[in-house]
Amino acid sequence: MFEALSILLYGLVQSAVLLLIALGFSVTFGISGIPNFAHGGIYILSGFACWYLLRKAHWPYPLAVAATVALAAAIGTLLYWLVIRPVRRLVLAEVLATFAVGVAFLELFRWMGLVTYEFHLPPVLSGSVTIGGVTMDRHRLVIVGAAAGLGMLLWWFGRATRTGLALRAMAQEEYTALAMGVHEDRMAAIGVALGSALAAVAAVLVLPLGIISINLGYDAILVALALTVTGGTERTAGLLLAALLLGMGTVLASMVLGPHWSEVIYLLAIVVVLAVRPSGILGRFKELEERV
Amino acid sequence: MIRFRAGLALWVFLLAALMGLPAAFGGPAEPIVLGVPTALGHSDGADSLRAVQLAAEEINVRGGVRVGGARRPLQVVSIDTREHEPGIPIHDALAALEKLITERRPHAIVVGAFRSEVLLASMDVIARYRVPYIVTIAMTPLFEQRVASDPGKYRYLFRMGLQSEYFAGNLARVLGFVKSRYGLSRVHFAYQDVLWAKGTVSILETWARQSGWTVVGSDAYPTGATDFSATVIRAQSGRAQILVPVFDMPQAGILVKQVRTARLPVLMAGYVVPVVPGTAWQTFEGAVDGFVQFLHEPGAIAVKALSKSVHFNRAYGRKYGEEARLRLGGHGPGPSYDAVYVVAAAIERAGTLEADRVADEIRRTDMEGVIGRIRFNERHQVVYGGLPHETAISLAFQWRAPGRRVVVWPEIAAEDEIRLPAELRR
Repeated sequence: MFEALSILLYGLVQSAVLLLIALGFSVTFGISGIPNFAHGGIYILSGFACWYLLRKAHWPYPLAVAATVALAAAIGTLLYWLVIRPVRRLVLAEVLATFAVGVAFLELFRWMGLVTYEFHLPPVLSGSVTIGGVTMDRHRLVIVGAAAGLGMLLWWFGRATRTGLALRAMAQEEYTALAMGVHEDRMAAIGVALGSALAAVAAVLVLPLGIISINLGYDAILVALALTVTGGTERTAGLLLAALLLGMGTVLASMVLGPHWSEVIYLLAIVVVLAVRPSGILGRFKELEERV
Repeated sequence: MIRFRAGLALWVFLLAALMGLPAAFGGPAEPIVLGVPTALGHSDGADSLRAVQLAAEEINVRGGVRVGGARRPLQVVSIDTREHEPGIPIHDALAALEKLITERRPHAIVVGAFRSEVLLASMDVIARYRVPYIVTIAMTPLFEQRVASDPGKYRYLFRMGLQSEYFAGNLARVLGFVKSRYGLSRVHFAYQDVLWAKGTVSILETWARQSGWTVVGSDAYPTGATDFSATVIRAQSGRAQILVPVFDMPQAGILVKQVRTARLPVLMAGYVVPVVPGTAWQTFEGAVDGFVQFLHEPGAIAVKALSKSVHFNRAYGRKYGEEARLRLGGHGPGPSYDAVYVVAAAIERAGTLEADRVADEIRRTDMEGVIGRIRFNERHQVVYGGLPHETAISLAFQWRAPGRRVVVWPEIAAEDEIRLPAELRR
């Protein structure tokens, strides 16, 4: 009973972690069709930026977090106008250009010597709580709450705001959206900025679980790709379902088969979904050739 | 004719003067090149390189290394093999090693391979290029077996860093102590699935079962893993009293935090690389309290019983700053610093840079260093033990509030004995 509850709770936390990491990548891809492979680089950049503002500049926590999210959004905007726009519509070039930027960020940090172990972010809430005999830190519960909250916020944003509706319109039927006066570049830039801001939110929530390590940026891209492919790009519910499946799956595999299998689950999910249902579990109108 | 001879003599004199003057008046002597091919993106690799540069600088300040009749400075050249990263194939690390050897022509190599897998693959490359090579990080016992299998071929290869069988033995002694002192008997292992850690835990598991311990579980994590809930759940449901983590990846810090926030009543004793630095108390916000962390070799902490470790620690702080001294890793820097002195002394004794003779002199080394007494066994491994004037030693310290690293093992260097964390005492 204890083990079952533990797997359930830790699986839920792991699902929330995966969802947070993937949300930015998926949103950008889903609403503007841009595969932002700089996502992992922006995720780690946000972690280091927040660390700097908190530890070196001694900014208060809420201000440091807000500034980090704003910085990531600004970087996303610049990324679109300077890197992505010149190669827009050339899918392979978009992938390569954004991937190169992400790698450049991560390797720059390595070159700067940020490979030591003092880089850490504080949890939103300290202390632990016990649920049915399973003791867990409050921060992990914050992560679950934040993931659920962000998911709902994005759902609302896509349906109740003009910008959200315009973004969705671009994703669903580009020419009709253009005919209705939607500005393509502006929407795409907003999409990349929003995804980057979400990467920063993920950084300030997920990185406090351990320490900031450059290689986590590469992991973030793998996670984002696995969830996006598994869930389908155009529906937040698909992403949520994929996060639950992979989160629960990795914890369960880790317990039953051994921790090695938790890594295999991501790759297995990509392969199986692409073979069986190329549009993703809940995807409907994205064909295989349109996907990364 | 006389004028011709005088002219010829003048030309010969001028030519000789042009060729000989720089040497006669102490012009720049050709440096002795020390190569450092290792994982510079990992703090153990980066700190080891700095330790090598520090030792080389100290030797150069004293006039360099005497080779035959001349004194020659040391020059350190390095290359990043990136072998600590997940997904970097051994082949890439070997290519980096070969690039360093062929392009920079080092007279000796120190620090060397970071991963055991790379070390084993490097051995034939080193044998082919015949460069004296002292490894200070990779820990696999297979290195010694390989040297013993063909001593002639592998005569250039030596290891000054700790070997994983020694580490397993050290951990076993500490486990033995807590068993007899506090009556603990249930142990859980969690380790990184790499050769040295796997080897260490394999030996320990066998020892633990034979010594009356109940092994609750043993979890192998791939390099780069970020979720350790399986270990937390298993250790808790199996009522483990000691958790032995063995990891050289930074992500293992997540495990330390996860165990503490889950309030698991366990004593953690092992090797988790981000727990070593003096800054770890702040980094982990006190979650390392009670953690018994091994330093594979002295260096990161100055030990009074080892005067060279005190000198090294201070000199490192002077050269690189107090923050860098506090961040010093627990594996590599001490023996890497010593390795430069070992090579320099071997060259001086050999009186030449000829690889075979330098290697022979390295094998005959007997000197005091940061890590204790440095002597190689017949399989080219520095002998580790518990008495610093007889062997090299390892250390273990326990994190205590408000952020002190208290040396608890071995007895000769211990400031206090191991104490149980509050959760376990309750």
